[in-house]
Amino acid sequence: MNETTAVPTAPSGEPIIKIRDLKKIYDMGRVKVEALAGIDLDIHRNEFIAIMGPSGSGKSTLMNLLGCLDTPTEGNYTLSSHEVSALDDNELAEVRNREIGFVFQTFNLLPRATSLHNVELPLIYAGVSGRERKKRALEALDIVGLAERSDHRPNELSGGQRQRVAIARALVNKPAILLADEPTGNLDSKTSLEVMDLFIRLHDQGQTVIIVTHEPDIAEYAHRVVTFLDGRIKSDVRQAAKRLDTEAVPG
Amino acid sequence: MAGPGRGVGLAEGVFIALDAIWANKLRSFLTVLGNVIAISSIILVVTIIQGVNAEVTKIFTAEGADIFTVRRESLVFSQEEAMAMRSRPRLTREDARFLRETGTAFEAVVESADGSGRVEYGNESLGGVAIEGRSWEWGLIDGNGLEAGRYFSPLETNRARPVALIGIDVASELFPGADPESAIGRRIRVHSLHYEVVGVMKTRGSSFGFSRDEVVVVPIRMFQRMFGSRNSLSFSIKPRGPEFVQPAMDEARTLMRIRHRLRPADEDDFGISDSSTFLDLYNQFTAGIFGALVGIVAMALVVGGIVIMNIMLMVVTERTREVGIRKAVGATYNQVLWQFLVEAVTLSVFGGAVGITLGYLAAAAIAAFTPLPFVLATWSIVAALVTVIGVGVVFGIYPASRAAKLDPITALGYE
Repeated sequence: MNETTAVPTAPSGEPIIKIRDLKKIYDMGRVKVEALAGIDLDIHRNEFIAIMGPSGSGKSTLMNLLGCLDTPTEGNYTLSSHEVSALDDNELAEVRNREIGFVFQTFNLLPRATSLHNVELPLIYAGVSGRERKKRALEALDIVGLAERSDHRPNELSGGQRQRVAIARALVNKPAILLADEPTGNLDSKTSLEVMDLFIRLHDQGQTVIIVTHEPDIAEYAHRVVTFLDGRIKSDVRQAAKRLDTEAVPG
Repeated sequence: MAGPGRGVGLAEGVFIALDAIWANKLRSFLTVLGNVIAISSIILVVTIIQGVNAEVTKIFTAEGADIFTVRRESLVFSQEEAMAMRSRPRLTREDARFLRETGTAFEAVVESADGSGRVEYGNESLGGVAIEGRSWEWGLIDGNGLEAGRYFSPLETNRARPVALIGIDVASELFPGADPESAIGRRIRVHSLHYEVVGVMKTRGSSFGFSRDEVVVVPIRMFQRMFGSRNSLSFSIKPRGPEFVQPAMDEARTLMRIRHRLRPADEDDFGISDSSTFLDLYNQFTAGIFGALVGIVAMALVVGGIVIMNIMLMVVTERTREVGIRKAVGATYNQVLWQFLVEAVTLSVFGGAVGITLGYLAAAAIAAFTPLPFVLATWSIVAALVTVIGVGVVFGIYPASRAAKLDPITALGYE
């Protein structure tokens, strides 16, 4: 039995993400592909947003731009008061390190490293010293319920556990936004629920969550669904988010 | 844990690299083979040369460093020059007398000639013994000393008395079990002539594994009686003091030119050399070997470095996704560059370490099976390590920059 929350009203105040007339044009030689045709989008702290759309709609491009993995061709993107479109590669790396926690469809863990080391990775690049790093990584693993698996390598973990390690890695630097790209795409439905429950709990604790997905039943857990088509926002809807009724997830 | 701009620390980078080396043992070994060969040859050759150096220095300093020699032949390196010297006048006893009577900077002028032959006593017989003809002044400059007996006297030299000093090995071969004292006064045959033993020399040790104690020293005129007087003598000259070495050499040269009636434009028709002449020559020779070694090693290192570069390019390709992950979580260009550079240097140093070990073992084996002493030069190990670190950096920088330049989106999508 599932329950839903009330439809939220649009939050006020300064948004954590502010996008104005953002364009991304890929120059393919003879043709120029307009992946994003100039979009405006505000995302506030502690929103839980699903970004949807068919492939080629521009949602992956937006995901790369939001994640500071790429820079826009035109327009402005402000993340936690950084004007990202003006940053060079090293500054982008620093923003990714501090402000963004990535969760990927394919987990993207270092295969030869333990869970602990995988979670420590962002802290290494943040210059956190060894002891502090281990402490914080263990805390993050504890949040996802995998503190006991800290010395396991990815091939010793199930798919759901791997994704939770990846979420711990995304959380460890206390990022402004958690950015998940099809986080349940490689998981079965039961494990998907576990992972979604984790996102819900993190959101309840104040985390801003952005999930890129093409699965409507995953988008149901978000408070707001932004749908893309042909490089434009087709709809931007606030909704009552579906909630799991039980703690069906290993703690 | 310092690297440029933080990131993967040195210890961690080395650990990652060692882990990868261990995971691909054969590949890693083949990768660093060039380094192994280069470094082991450096260590081996340097160790051998150091061993030879120790021997050579021992020989030249044993003779007395301030003593110099006048010979008919100069040191030459070609057949033609050697042929040309055959027309030079012999050095004779009269030349020696002239040097003694006119020279002012000399303490002693020893006439010398060397040969070899058979030494016998009763039924004991010893072939191939070094026979050294010396004038009595030899006793003045011989730094080696006697076990028993005495050197021969001026009278014995000039009157050609059949007296002999024998090396300690000759004594023990001819008079087995007897102590050196009891050898004095015995009558032996040297090159078929009868001699009375008047002295037994202290051991001169060995060089390059050959004993220098199978020797008989006889008065120079007796030597000429046995081997004829047609061969040129050579003169070993001891200056009046260590500070007189150069003046004494200059004086000897001037006097020999006068004696041979050379005009100012004529070249010397004799050669003068002191121990430093030989050491210089020897050092030139080893410098040549070092030069050739450096060339060979440089080639091996370039080949080794290129292999390392290729493998590192492959490693970067294999780990493209890893680079993507690291960049996604915030690794900067420099941090990724540093990580792969540390890995290349670790690989290179690993090869160097294997090379040092192999070179060391080979040198130790050579020392064990040959008379060369084992002298391991610490600087050769330091030089080897510095070199392989350099190779790692030079040939690792390109693959590392390839990794550092990877676009995170592309790298993350790489299967």
